[in-house]
Amino acid sequence: MKFALFALRNLARNRRRTAISLAIVAAGTVGLLLTAGFIRFSFDGLREAMIHGGLGHLEIASQAAVASRGEAALDRSVQQGIDGWQEVRATVEKLPHVVAVQANLHLMGMIQKPGGDSVSFVGVGVEPERERRMGFETKVRQGRALADATPAAGDDEVVLALGLAAALGARPGDLLTLLAASPDGMLNALDVRVAGLVTTGVQELDSRYLKIHLATGQRLLATDRVSNLLVGLDDTAATAAAQVAVTQALASFSPALAVTPWEKRAAFYSQVRNLYLGIFWFLGAIVFVLVVLATSNTLVMTVMERVREIGTLRAIGTAPGQIAAMVLWEALWLGVLGALVGDALGAAAIAGINGLHLKMPPPPGAVDPIDLQLAFVPEAFAAIVGVMAVVLLVAALAPVARATRISVVEALRHV
Amino acid sequence: MSSPLFAARAAAKSYELGETEVVALAGVDLEIAAGEFVAIAGPSGSGKSTLLHLLGALDSPDTGSVAIAGRDLATLSERERTLLRRRRLGFVFQSFHLVPVLSALENVEYPLWIDDVPAAERRERARGMLESVGLGHRLDHLPDRLSGGERQRVAIARALVHRPAAILADEPTGNLDSANGAAIFELMLAVRREHGTTFVLATHDPTLMAHSPRRIELRDGRIVSDTAGPGDPAKGAGA
Repeated sequence: MKFALFALRNLARNRRRTAISLAIVAAGTVGLLLTAGFIRFSFDGLREAMIHGGLGHLEIASQAAVASRGEAALDRSVQQGIDGWQEVRATVEKLPHVVAVQANLHLMGMIQKPGGDSVSFVGVGVEPERERRMGFETKVRQGRALADATPAAGDDEVVLALGLAAALGARPGDLLTLLAASPDGMLNALDVRVAGLVTTGVQELDSRYLKIHLATGQRLLATDRVSNLLVGLDDTAATAAAQVAVTQALASFSPALAVTPWEKRAAFYSQVRNLYLGIFWFLGAIVFVLVVLATSNTLVMTVMERVREIGTLRAIGTAPGQIAAMVLWEALWLGVLGALVGDALGAAAIAGINGLHLKMPPPPGAVDPIDLQLAFVPEAFAAIVGVMAVVLLVAALAPVARATRISVVEALRHV
Repeated sequence: MSSPLFAARAAAKSYELGETEVVALAGVDLEIAAGEFVAIAGPSGSGKSTLLHLLGALDSPDTGSVAIAGRDLATLSERERTLLRRRRLGFVFQSFHLVPVLSALENVEYPLWIDDVPAAERRERARGMLESVGLGHRLDHLPDRLSGGERQRVAIARALVHRPAAILADEPTGNLDSANGAAIFELMLAVRREHGTTFVLATHDPTLMAHSPRRIELRDGRIVSDTAGPGDPAKGAGA
């Protein structure tokens, strides 16, 4: 510790070189902070988009459905759906953090415009009012969203995804016919009027997706069941606690129900997360190597410039370990001070970039451009100081080796 | 009879200069008793600095031996040699070799600092040492704010602060004008008188040679004369 102040004074000898070293460390720090901010923003954005795009925070489905299709399945067959779902919902909606519980009916079949071709669809019957309460986003591009009120027979509506509407040549106000098989295998048909055109945000899904009111779906499939229930929470961070509470509350229901958190049903999220983390570590490794190479060279120069002085210090009894401590402290100061400068610059850069409201191209599979917003990641600001300290200590290994192996006699003769 | 403070026995040292082997010391026998004041003279390349390096445990002879206070330096580990230099020896160099980022007081404190002497004690001893060399008014000055004579006084204070048995000085007046050189010489003599510190100096300075109690002359790595001045026992040439 006693060499800390000594090292700081040594750094002040050649201020220009020290400033360059600090700038290298600071630039690396800013780069990592911006990357971490972008990745966190992407994670958070993708997570909330998936939760509010249709996953909900929790899914309640029959254990039979989960056993047959797995936890990750996004649709559940109505044959293995939930009877008495209203009671389940009433129970769950009383629990803390629960904003709303929405019943879903998954269906697939054919859709046809009179005189046109039939096109296959995947659809979902929903409760629009509860969807809204749960913060589910409907991106209406033309017309309007589904009406909240339960439609009377003959007044059934549908919203079509843009790709499906294009395939059908359908517009808001058009009358279409849905064809789907009921749970007992009968083929049913139902006329529906196009309320609006929407996008799911995912190109592939837009070519086949439609949404109808839950009552319309039950009428089409001639059933009172629902495929599953989606639970919306007031805070994503409460998901794990809510899962436990919901599971306990539903333990006595028969047939048994399974409660699955959103993350287990979001394979895409996990893939994107792993990809981004891989990119982050790759970039981090590049920054690590660049900073080590650049600062190691500087530290070697500071040692080589002080050969005679180091020789003198060794001559008057300074141990090699004490010489090493001196160089390591200089490296440590460069790492910590450079990272702190980088933290300040990084915070300013994040605020500046966010203020510009730059648009990013749609991410893979999405259709809308997104706002570039970098997240402040407090733990990254703290961790980077430690990381840069380690980086500089690694960079100091070669200079330390050189400083401690200097021959005292040769050093004293050094000019 | 007690053993001498320094004893070199047939100490030889060569260096490689390119492809040429340069003999710096060609088998030197020498004894220096505690409290002696010895000036070693000789032309450049005669082996003065090499002899000082061997006596100061900074280097090892190729053949022969060097002992300090009866301990053969060849038997000491690197750590023991470091501690020996730190606690028993002091060094003064021609170019002062002060640490430029440390004040005069901190430079003098340094040998105590690396030896973990408590802060209050080392500060007090360093202050007292600087006052004794006439620099009590320059404690907080950095070396580049001091004159050559003042820097060498700081270097002597640094070499003395841990109360070493001996001070080895390589051309201590080489970078000083004659007035400052004489003052530094007087200072060293006074320290020797007061503390009984042994001084071994390598020098080109004829005045310093003329007034040194014991004078050794080296040529081509060999001792060619070893004479005592008034008040000091004469030593035989080549011992």
